[in-house]
Amino acid sequence: MAISSAEPVVLAPDPGPAGPRPWWLWTLALAGCGVATFSFVSAFYSETVTTELGEPLVVAILVNWNTIAYVLCGLVAWSRRPESRFGLLLVAAGFANFLSTLSWTTNDLSYTIGQTLDFLPPILFLHVFLAFPTGRLETRLERTVVGAGYAAAISLELVRMAVGGFGPHNLLEVSSNADVGLWAVRTQLIVVSGLLLAGVGILVHKRRLRRRPLRRSGELLVDWFGLGLVMIAFLFLSIVFGGPAVREIRWATLATIGLAPVAFLIGLLHARLARSAVGGLLVELHADPAPADLRDALARALRDPSLTLAYWLPDFQTYVDLDGRRVDLSDEPGRTTTVIERNGARVAALQHDAALKDEPELLAAATAAAGIAVENARLHAELRARLEELRGSRARVIEAGQSERQRLERNLHDGAQQRLVALSLELSLLEERLDGDPDATARLAVARDEIASSLEELREVARGLHPAVVSAHGLEVALEQLAARAAVPVTLTVRVGSRLPESLEVAAYYLVSESLANVGKYARASFASVEVTRRQSDVLVEIVDDGIGGADESRGSGLRGLADRVEALGGKLRVWSPAGGGTRVRAEIPCAP
Amino acid sequence: MRAVIAEDSVLLREGVSRVLGDAGVDVVGTCDTAEELLVRVQSTTPDIAIVDIRLPPTHSDEGMQAALEIRARHPSVGVLVLSQYVEVGLAMKLLAESADGVGYLLKDRISNVKEFVAAVRRVSDGGSAIDPIIVSTLLSKRRNDDLLTELTPRERDVLELMAEGRSNQGIAEKLVITVRSVEKYVSSIFDKLGLPSGGSDSRRVLAVLLYLRA
Repeated sequence: MAISSAEPVVLAPDPGPAGPRPWWLWTLALAGCGVATFSFVSAFYSETVTTELGEPLVVAILVNWNTIAYVLCGLVAWSRRPESRFGLLLVAAGFANFLSTLSWTTNDLSYTIGQTLDFLPPILFLHVFLAFPTGRLETRLERTVVGAGYAAAISLELVRMAVGGFGPHNLLEVSSNADVGLWAVRTQLIVVSGLLLAGVGILVHKRRLRRRPLRRSGELLVDWFGLGLVMIAFLFLSIVFGGPAVREIRWATLATIGLAPVAFLIGLLHARLARSAVGGLLVELHADPAPADLRDALARALRDPSLTLAYWLPDFQTYVDLDGRRVDLSDEPGRTTTVIERNGARVAALQHDAALKDEPELLAAATAAAGIAVENARLHAELRARLEELRGSRARVIEAGQSERQRLERNLHDGAQQRLVALSLELSLLEERLDGDPDATARLAVARDEIASSLEELREVARGLHPAVVSAHGLEVALEQLAARAAVPVTLTVRVGSRLPESLEVAAYYLVSESLANVGKYARASFASVEVTRRQSDVLVEIVDDGIGGADESRGSGLRGLADRVEALGGKLRVWSPAGGGTRVRAEIPCAP
Repeated sequence: MRAVIAEDSVLLREGVSRVLGDAGVDVVGTCDTAEELLVRVQSTTPDIAIVDIRLPPTHSDEGMQAALEIRARHPSVGVLVLSQYVEVGLAMKLLAESADGVGYLLKDRISNVKEFVAAVRRVSDGGSAIDPIIVSTLLSKRRNDDLLTELTPRERDVLELMAEGRSNQGIAEKLVITVRSVEKYVSSIFDKLGLPSGGSDSRRVLAVLLYLRA
C-alpha cells in the first residue's frame, strides 16, 4: 500500500453550517459601536484615564478602536466562515475589551466589574492569536497557557481589589494593605508577560513545524502582528522594572493590537479569493485539458504549487502518477492527504499543504469541480500502468532468455571448447612421437582437422547464443568486427563514452548485426553507415544504407524480434525504406544519464 | 627464454606449459587469475606472459586488462593473448600504438605446436603474432577505393604473412621462396599501398594493420 496516511479526510459535498442571520449581525455591529461610544465618552470623566494614563483622547480612541475593530472584523469573519469559531471569538474579544473599560465609569457596580476584568484584554489577544484561523486551541499546551492567563489575570486582580487602593467605587475592598497590593500587581504583570511570551514561543514553534514557506501571505501578516504580544509583555515588564517611555509604548502597543483584526480579515479574504479560483478551475476544465494539465490546474485553484495528484488503481491496490508509476503518499510533516471519491468509489488522492485543511469547503469545491476530469485521468493512468506492467513482463522474459543463453555460452566456452583445444593439442603431441609412421600421421592430421572444424562450428553456435565480446569488452570493440565483416564498406561512429547497461549493449549489437546482414542480403547497397550515439536520456542506434530500399519487417527475419527487444527496453524502433531510397533503421533506447 | 602462463583451464594450462617446456622454454610461473599474473610478472620479470583473455572472477575482460597493464608497466615483457574468439576491435585495442612484443591468437593455434612455439619466440623477442583470422578479416573488408586489388596474388600472400608478424625469413620459409624475392615483394606492396617502407617487423605489422583497418 502506498498510502499510510493516518486518517485521510474523505470529502463529501458538504455546504457547511449556515451563516448567521443578517439582523443578528447588524444588531451586534450596532451594539459594538454603541458600547464603544459609551466607553469613549466615559474616558473623559475617568480619573484613571486622565491622571494615570494621560491624554484621554488618545487612550479613548485607541482602546475603543480595539473594541470596534474586533467586533466588526469578527462579524465579517463569522458571516464568511460560519463553520469556523474564529469570527465569534473575535466578537467576544471585542465585547470583553469593552467590559474592561467599565472601570472608567463612576457607578460602583460597573466600576467593580470593569476593574475586575482590567487584565483580561492581553489574555484575550493571546487567545485570539493562538486560535487563528480555526477558532480553537488545538493543543493541550495552548489551552493550558490561555487558561492560566485568564486565571492569573482575574484572580490576582481580585486579590488586589480585596486589599484595597482602588478608590471609593471598589465594592470588593476588604482591608487596606498597600504592600500586598503592590506585590499582587507586580506578580500579575510578570506572570501575564511570561504567559504572553510563552504564547509567542508556541506561535513560532507552530510556524517552524511547517518546513516549507507559508502558503498564504495573509498568515504571514498575522504572524507579524503576533509581535504585538511581545510589545504588551515588554510594556508590562517596563512598568514593573521601570523601563523608559511607558506611555508611548502603551500607545504603540494598543495601535498594533488594534490593527491585528485587519490582518485576520486579510487572511480570511485570501481564502475567499481561493474559492473564486475554483471558478477559474471550472473554466479551465471546461476547455477539456489534457490529463497532464489537471494537476497544475488544481494546484493553481488550491494555490499549493507542491500539490501531488495520485490516482487510485483498485486492481493494483496502489496510487500511481499519470504515467502509471507508483506514488508514495506516506506522511510528511506539514502534508496532508485527501482522498477524492466519486459515486462512493475512491478515485484519486491529493497530497497537499496541511494548511488547506483549514479550508475544507475550498478542497471540496475544487475536487468536486475536477471530478470527471480526475476520473478520466485515472483511466489514463490505469492504462499506462497496465502498459508498463506488460512492458516489464516482456523485458523480464527477454532478460530471462538472455541470461539463459549467456549461461549456455559460458558452459560451452569453459567446457566443450576448452576440451577440444586440449584434445587437439594432445593429438599433435602424439603426432610428434609417431614420426616415421606416415599412415598414423595422416590419420592424426584428419582427426585434428575434424576438431578444428568442430571448434569453428562451436564458435559460431556460441556467438549466436550470446555475444560474449559485447558483455566483456563493450559495444564499440564488438561493432568493429561486424563492420569489418560486412558485405559493403561501413562507416562506424560510436560515441557512447563509458560502458552502457549490458541489456542495451546486447540489443544494440543484435540490431547492428541483423541490419548489416540484411544490407548484405537484400539492399544491393554500395555503402552503409552505423552510428551509435549516447544522448541526454537515451541511446540512438542508426543503420543507414544507400540500397534499393523497400524493406519491410516481414522480410528481414529478425527485425520483428529486434523491435521486441528494443521495445522491451522502453525504446522505439523505426524503419524507413522507400523504394529506391535506401533503408534507415533507427532505434532510440532510453538510458539514464 | 622465461615464460609465465595465466590460464584458468587446468587442461590447457598444463598443455601449454608442457609444450613450451619441451621446446626448451623455462616456464617460471603458472596461475589462473589476472591478479596473480600481475604479481608473477612483477616478481619474475619473464620474457613473455601468455594470458587467457577470459579469466576469473567475472570471466569478462580481466585477462585483457591484465595484458594491457603489463604492456604499459613492463614494456620489456612480451604479451601473448589467447582467446576462443578473435576480434578486430580487440586486436586493435591490444596493439594500441605499437605491435612490439604483442601476440593475439586463437586458442586453437596451440595445437600446431611448431607454429605456436615460433609465435611465442617472436613475441618474446619483441616481435608480433597476429592471428590469421584477424588478418584475413581485415583483408576481406570492403573498401571504397581498394588499392588491394592492385596486388598480385603472391603479393597478397606476402602481405598476409607480414601482417601476422612474420619476418622475411619466416615468410620465405612459409612460401618456399628466397628471402631476396620476399624483400622485392614487400617493397612492391609498400609502393602500391603508399606506405612508408622500412623499420622493424613489428612496425610494419602496425602499419599494415592500420592500413587494412581504415
